[in-house]
Amino acid sequence: MADNLPSEFDVVVIGTGLPESIIAAACSRSGQRVLHVDSRNYYGGNWASFSFSGLSSWIKENQQKTDISEESEDWRKLILETEEAICLNKKDKTIQNVEDVCYASQDLAEDVKEAGALPNLPDFEASETSEAAQESEKECLPVESQSLGTASCEISSERIIGNDPGSTTERKDAEMTSERENLCDVTSDQSPLETGKTETISTTEAAALEPKKITYTQIVKEGRRFNIDLVSKLLYSRGLLIDLLMKSNVSRYAEFKNVTRILTFQEERVEQVPCSRADVFNSKQLTMVEKRMLMKFLTFCLDYEQHPDAYQDYKEYKFSEYLKTQKLTAKLQHFILHSIAMVSAADSNTIEGLKATKNFLQCLGRYGNTPFLFPLYGQGEIPQCFCRMCAVFGGIYCLRHSVQCLVVDKESGRCKAIIDHFGQRINANYFVVEDSYLSEETCTDVCYRQISRAVLITDQSVLKTDSDQQISILIVPPMELGQPAVRIIELCSSTMTCMKNTYLVHFTSSSTKTAKEDLEPVVQKLFTLNAETERESKNGGLEKPRVLWAVYFNMRDSSGIDRNSYDHLPSNVYVCSGPDSALGNDYAVKQAETLFQEMFPNEEFCPSPPNPEDIIYDGDGTPPEDPRFSNSSNMKTEPLSEESSDENSYKISEEHHKE
Amino acid sequence: MMAIRELKVCLLGDTGVGKSSIVCRFVQDHFDHNISPTIGASFMTKTVPCGNELHKFLIWDTAGQERFHSLAPMYYRGSAAAVIVYDITKQDSFHTLKKWVKELKEHGPENIVMAIAGNKCDLSDLREVTMKDAKEYAESIGAIVVETSAKNAINIEELFQGISQQIPPLNPHENSNNGAIRLGKQTTQMSRPCC
Ligand SMILES: Cc1cc2nc3c(=O)[nH]c(=O)nc-3n(C[C@H](O)[C@H](O)[C@H](O)COP(=O)(O)OP(=O)(O)OC[C@H]3O[C@@H](n4cnc5c(N)ncnc54)[C@H](O)[C@@H]3O)c2cc1C
Ligand SMILES: Nc1nc2c(ncn2[C@@H]2O[C@H](COP(=O)(O)OP(=O)(O)OP(=O)(O)O)[C@@H](O)[C@H]2O)c(=O)[nH]1
Ligand SMILES: [Mg+2]
Repeated sequence: MADNLPSEFDVVVIGTGLPESIIAAACSRSGQRVLHVDSRNYYGGNWASFSFSGLSSWIKENQQKTDISEESEDWRKLILETEEAICLNKKDKTIQNVEDVCYASQDLAEDVKEAGALPNLPDFEASETSEAAQESEKECLPVESQSLGTASCEISSERIIGNDPGSTTERKDAEMTSERENLCDVTSDQSPLETGKTETISTTEAAALEPKKITYTQIVKEGRRFNIDLVSKLLYSRGLLIDLLMKSNVSRYAEFKNVTRILTFQEERVEQVPCSRADVFNSKQLTMVEKRMLMKFLTFCLDYEQHPDAYQDYKEYKFSEYLKTQKLTAKLQHFILHSIAMVSAADSNTIEGLKATKNFLQCLGRYGNTPFLFPLYGQGEIPQCFCRMCAVFGGIYCLRHSVQCLVVDKESGRCKAIIDHFGQRINANYFVVEDSYLSEETCTDVCYRQISRAVLITDQSVLKTDSDQQISILIVPPMELGQPAVRIIELCSSTMTCMKNTYLVHFTSSSTKTAKEDLEPVVQKLFTLNAETERESKNGGLEKPRVLWAVYFNMRDSSGIDRNSYDHLPSNVYVCSGPDSALGNDYAVKQAETLFQEMFPNEEFCPSPPNPEDIIYDGDGTPPEDPRFSNSSNMKTEPLSEESSDENSYKISEEHHKE
Repeated sequence: MMAIRELKVCLLGDTGVGKSSIVCRFVQDHFDHNISPTIGASFMTKTVPCGNELHKFLIWDTAGQERFHSLAPMYYRGSAAAVIVYDITKQDSFHTLKKWVKELKEHGPENIVMAIAGNKCDLSDLREVTMKDAKEYAESIGAIVVETSAKNAINIEELFQGISQQIPPLNPHENSNNGAIRLGKQTTQMSRPCC
């Protein structure tokens, strides 16, 4: 297994975030020899998603302020006199102000562990032969080795702030229940099959007991059911990423769910925004007059370019001002501005607003009755899908692989090679580097924005309905002028990102202060923070969902940076940015395509593969002659995807009439 | 009519143990001495009857990402089964197998069916791993185990039959794909004809 890494490539890609992964796939697809490395032990960089224990390790890592120890500078010997080195970063500095808070009841059992982890395999560890494998073994399983029990103590002792006195009793209770909990904890010596059974039973039992209370122990034990994304985005059903996934056939590696609801927060209440013609007509929140107003306005937006006279005079206005001039009630203006156009009231002008509204409407109905898709298992799957495509075409993958420096030829000013952490020199013609790998020296003149993020595990949806499997997006407009709007995406367990009976709620905004300062006020409006108190009745019996656990952090936004602000970068070094704060993925896709075209102006960007990977034989019949035919007959695809639930779409009902 | 169930199966194991050869034998009943190490992954399917269902195996190969211990978790997402292969003539490959099992247990789907294949059993003169060791280990992790030869077509069918039998019957209440959407390429062609 300990192969030697070749030292000649055409393209070296450093970082496995979305734009880097797309570029790697595109290069490999066009026949380049690609080496794709990441210094971390997981794919995706700041686009990654983690199980609960994986995220706990990530949190710890980012809370540690200590710099890593001085490394030997032996590699400098490998640099010739005619060359110079551009050092890369030793430690990632893109994540700040990480704060996790546990609100669920905690027992202090030391041995709480993710279920499914094997009982120790003593003879395996001992018999591991290759040194590299041993090292990777240690590194790739940070998850299990850290005592989560301790983590929970830490949280309870110092991080619960602002809770009412109830929390003290809560902890006592927790200690008392911990023994009982432990009794059902002994899964570790059972065979996996038996474990599976016990779990099924316990979930059914839990479902029978209403209301079910989820403890911290349960979250930890079911930890691998979580896939918690560091970035929270959706795919516009007609966005660039969907186009690229389909065109390149990378879509075969992923499955999606349609976002089921667009929500709005008005007058301290969460409400659903009607999203299709049928929704509008069925809406109970809108009066008949409002329905007609909304229909008329949206129909206009679909081809607003055809009616310039309707907005010509307001071009310079804010979109929010423009909406006031239209025949729309305040409620409708709010819907359109925040939930359909999803533009900022303070910044966006009329044209931007109309364009965004049109885009939203055009994306409706392609896969369901909202314009958005979410990948099963989380956004973190997407970079991995492109990496697989790169590997399928021969790209070589090394995680846990740091790069010491770029080697630049003094005379030509071009980058020739990298030197990795083993001191191996690897030559290539093109280098793609994600921003966070560049050292402070290179980035002195770069000015970064920040993104504020929060992720909550909650026990109920912000808007309960008959179905507990809703995927919702909610934009909360700024509470004060000048503050950013907060985007909230609530995921249910069928997205495979959280355990049963919980929701994963992602908050995103551009930063003005720390993530917690930016976002906690909104969290408090929508949720109850003390999981132990009786449910408060509010708004005529509407209960707020409880937060069981939360993490806040700030992430650097390195999008939109002019290449020239990086100091001294050779022209064959291309910089990719980390995640931007927008809802869609267009920025990353555009960046990947632009950089790829700069490197290889004559190559097509991610064309469809000649045929699926590359042989599909169905053993039952003779190998089909036309591979494309075999492709479509072997893969189950389209029929499902294009059928959206009947009356929800204007388009389809119209077609039915015609038929 | 028999219902067709699609089952994703992923292959794991040291390089050179015969993963691709096993699939090639199973799907095409063919063996190639000079098969090259897998770089471009192949993706193959084969349908076999099982009880009153048809099991359509979608078999994923690793694309070589395992070479430097960098397999992406998306590779085993949603897999119903994993075939973990070692070479009975290489003790090392048996150790690596245990590493894969561990990885699957931690990051793979719950209730994944694990099938261990001790391949190249035609070379028993060179044997380094005993059947007893393999059996004991498989038992300890609840996996099925069989010694195979892709070369001589020994136990290959049996391996996949074994997997088929371990797959729990479809729960009628559970929609098999849970309403998940797969993006198709031919979206435009799929639109209804207009008349
Ligand atoms: C409140 C509200 C009111 C609306 N009122 C109107 C209105 O009065 N008039 C109007 O035209 N639109 C209206 N819409 C928008 C409408 O729902 C669609 O977004 C729009 O019809 C898209 O069609 P298009 O021709 O603009 O785009 P296109 O891009 O041409 O259409 C979308 C594409 O997706 C496919 N498609 C669309 N829906 C389905 C489906 N359900 N199943 C399978 N394939 C599908 C089509 O075949 C087409 O290829 C309204 C939307 C809202 C939210
Ligand atoms: N004698 C014998 N040789 C086999 C058998 N199966 C595979 N081989 C040979 O072992 C070598 C490796 O087989 P592959 O199928 O390429 O192995 P792999 O696990 O796919 O290897 P990678 O793709 O590199 O990970 C080839 O030379 C095969 O011909 C077997 O059952 N018996
Ligand atoms: Mg192979």
